[in-house]
Amino acid sequence: MFAALYAPSVPAAALIDVARAFTPRFEQLGPVVLLDASGLSRLFGSAQELGEHLRDALEKLSPGDTLARIAIASTQTAATLLALGCPGLTVVMPGKEAIALAPLSVSVLDQFEKLSSASAHRAAPGELRRHTGPDLSAGGWHHPRSTHQASRGRRRAPENRLLEILTKWGIRTLGALTALAGPEIHERLGERGAEWQALARGRDGRPMVPWLDDVPFEAALELEWPIEGLEPLSFVLARLLEPLAEQLERADRGAAVLYTSLRLTSRNVFTRTLQLPAPMRDPKTLRTLILLDLESHPPDAPIDIVRIVIEPTPAKVLQWTLLERAQPAPEHVSTLIARLTALMGEGHVGSPRVVDSWKPGAFEMGDFRVVNDDCVASDVRRLSINREIDHRQSPNSHSIKESSIAELKSALRRFRFPVPTRVVVSEGRPVRIQTDRQGFSSGAITQAAGPWRTSGHWWSASAREQTGELRRDHRAGSSAVATGKVEAAFGREGGWDRDEWDVAMTDGTVYRLVVEREVGQWFLEGVMD
Amino acid sequence: MAARAAVEALLREKKLDRTLTSTLPERLGEDAVAALDVRVLDHALAGRDGLHNNAAGLPRGQVSEVVGPSSSGRTSVAWAALAAATRRGESVALIDTFDRFDPPTAHACGMDLPRLLWVRGQAVSKTSAAIDPAWLPGVRAVSGPGTFVERVIDRAIKSLNLVVQSGVCTLVVIDLVDVPATALRRLPASTWFRVERAIEGSDTAVLILAAQSVSRSTGGRSVMLDGLRTPGPGTRTSVLSESGARSPEPGVIWKGSHDRSRRIAGMRSRASVSAARWSHAQAVDFRSHVINAV
Repeated sequence: MFAALYAPSVPAAALIDVARAFTPRFEQLGPVVLLDASGLSRLFGSAQELGEHLRDALEKLSPGDTLARIAIASTQTAATLLALGCPGLTVVMPGKEAIALAPLSVSVLDQFEKLSSASAHRAAPGELRRHTGPDLSAGGWHHPRSTHQASRGRRRAPENRLLEILTKWGIRTLGALTALAGPEIHERLGERGAEWQALARGRDGRPMVPWLDDVPFEAALELEWPIEGLEPLSFVLARLLEPLAEQLERADRGAAVLYTSLRLTSRNVFTRTLQLPAPMRDPKTLRTLILLDLESHPPDAPIDIVRIVIEPTPAKVLQWTLLERAQPAPEHVSTLIARLTALMGEGHVGSPRVVDSWKPGAFEMGDFRVVNDDCVASDVRRLSINREIDHRQSPNSHSIKESSIAELKSALRRFRFPVPTRVVVSEGRPVRIQTDRQGFSSGAITQAAGPWRTSGHWWSASAREQTGELRRDHRAGSSAVATGKVEAAFGREGGWDRDEWDVAMTDGTVYRLVVEREVGQWFLEGVMD
Repeated sequence: MAARAAVEALLREKKLDRTLTSTLPERLGEDAVAALDVRVLDHALAGRDGLHNNAAGLPRGQVSEVVGPSSSGRTSVAWAALAAATRRGESVALIDTFDRFDPPTAHACGMDLPRLLWVRGQAVSKTSAAIDPAWLPGVRAVSGPGTFVERVIDRAIKSLNLVVQSGVCTLVVIDLVDVPATALRRLPASTWFRVERAIEGSDTAVLILAAQSVSRSTGGRSVMLDGLRTPGPGTRTSVLSESGARSPEPGVIWKGSHDRSRRIAGMRSRASVSAARWSHAQAVDFRSHVINAV
């Protein structure tokens, strides 16, 4: 639900003050101020009552002003057009926008377009800041409100040829414009004509870009004495973050990105950026996350000035229920992941993802997030089931029944660095293996199944380079070097060409044995467990 | 029961659980356990009392263990617990001390990977170039006191403590299978006591996966698996077929009579489940299917 205020006799700043008194989410389009009225019904009642409250507020600013217009509709376009075209208070029920807009003159579209265009031009200079983040090394930082609006610069209409054409056609109202066939409008007037028709139906062409104050969520502290170490820094961070958290709470915002800028005694500016997985504003959590990040990436000199900049985002609304198991709070999850990452290192904590590859053991690491039931990616599951169709199995066993998911399946413990082993081959089959590593079985093989040959990525340049290197090492007789390189290269991006065997040892251990065909080296790749 | 679990979780959120849960009676029914969705194992884990209460699985708020030799099915049991929990929509964690987890196989086993928090330790390699440099500085040798292996174990234990204290995951498995017995013995007894205290009265179940018995809380379960017995070398008659008579002994199930067509179809395992208050252990036979597809 959106409300549009249009009062030519009232200064723009006063109109913005009125909007701010009702909601923190509003946008200025020239003389029109657009309010996001979602959720205001709890405070101001129905849409009609909200409209009356707004009318009273405008009335206080300029008593007896007959030009003030207020429109409330479910789309921002409809609200703005109605504010431009209809006097007094207009409230449109959801779904009735096209009917309400039908009697308006097509000239309001021209007016609307000019307002949008002017707003976009005003905003354009800040575009670059959006992609690079705030300039922490320089002075202030302006939130890139304008960057969202930059894309609207295309729709310019200095002298409106389109309006002229429509007038010649005898199209004078929005209702008449919407009655025309869409494809034919597009054929004759192009994309802009189709956009006008969508606007005439009250459809939004872009999301609302709320106004944000030029003063962002930012705090800085110049220290009397340089500080070293994280412990004194934590007190400074607490002092900076607590007012910022209050500021965020007042604006009903959470931190999406956290920029920490530390000016060092070496005159360098040390900057860290934390992308938070969920909006949060608990100062203790934010402080812990910054400290854990700095623990992993400490500055190389004492700190002179500490500066924190928060990029805000609408706070997440969580509805707790007694009927479902409580999900952990995002703050707890983020803190846990940060602590684990500080302990185990980058890339050692997360959720694995199955990738679309035939490479044995291929996967990638992703971020761990608490998943809601609706968010389970069905395509990943489908991919997995497809992967289960194996070339080893007979054709009649290709389909995997869903019911079999609950059965116990054998796990494969994969050696991330495969274990080099010596293998005795008889009649083309391995009969005995020997390895010098502790904790691995050696001896006679009682049963073996295989070989299953797979290869892939041999066409990539890195794979060719790797293969050539291994061949050279092997020919030079340095099999140990070649073995080490194969071991180090396992799991990385590259080609493979190998035969796999499943072998059972006398002590009952079942290994997956692999021979790298390029160098003829055998490895234990995993154990079935 | 779900409502009760939610209320208790909220109390924990507000740090009120310690004052209230001590006066609450023991939880009953399916909320008290993390089921494996494998009927024979769940029944064995439940014992006689559990079956009466319709509670079959790993008890929550307790430390349990799965122990067995190589290829006995111990990892399959732990993965089954993780997969069943993720299918119920729970978040789970795996502390993988030596980075042995294989995501494609786990996914084929029915594990919902986005719900899994995988904490990867560091695999041991003789090629130091393959090891993450962050794990190497200050390491004097590969094994022995104060060495690379000890550092890996130490970080795994610290990770376990962080995960259980956060309360984010309802099932936490720590994989200590490849940890040398000497290193396990050097761990102080307070290590596991601290974990028990952290999860006491909570929804979290901790499962220790190891080659030999490590620890178990009073209300926890020990699942001991027998090793496989493979037939003698070169004895064609010992190859079992799918339709063959069921042997009571654990072993590998081979499919196909010819060398070229033979493959592993599954493994037959035997588990013995025990708990502190049980007069005798529950022995069960089960079999697992080998996924030849990853």
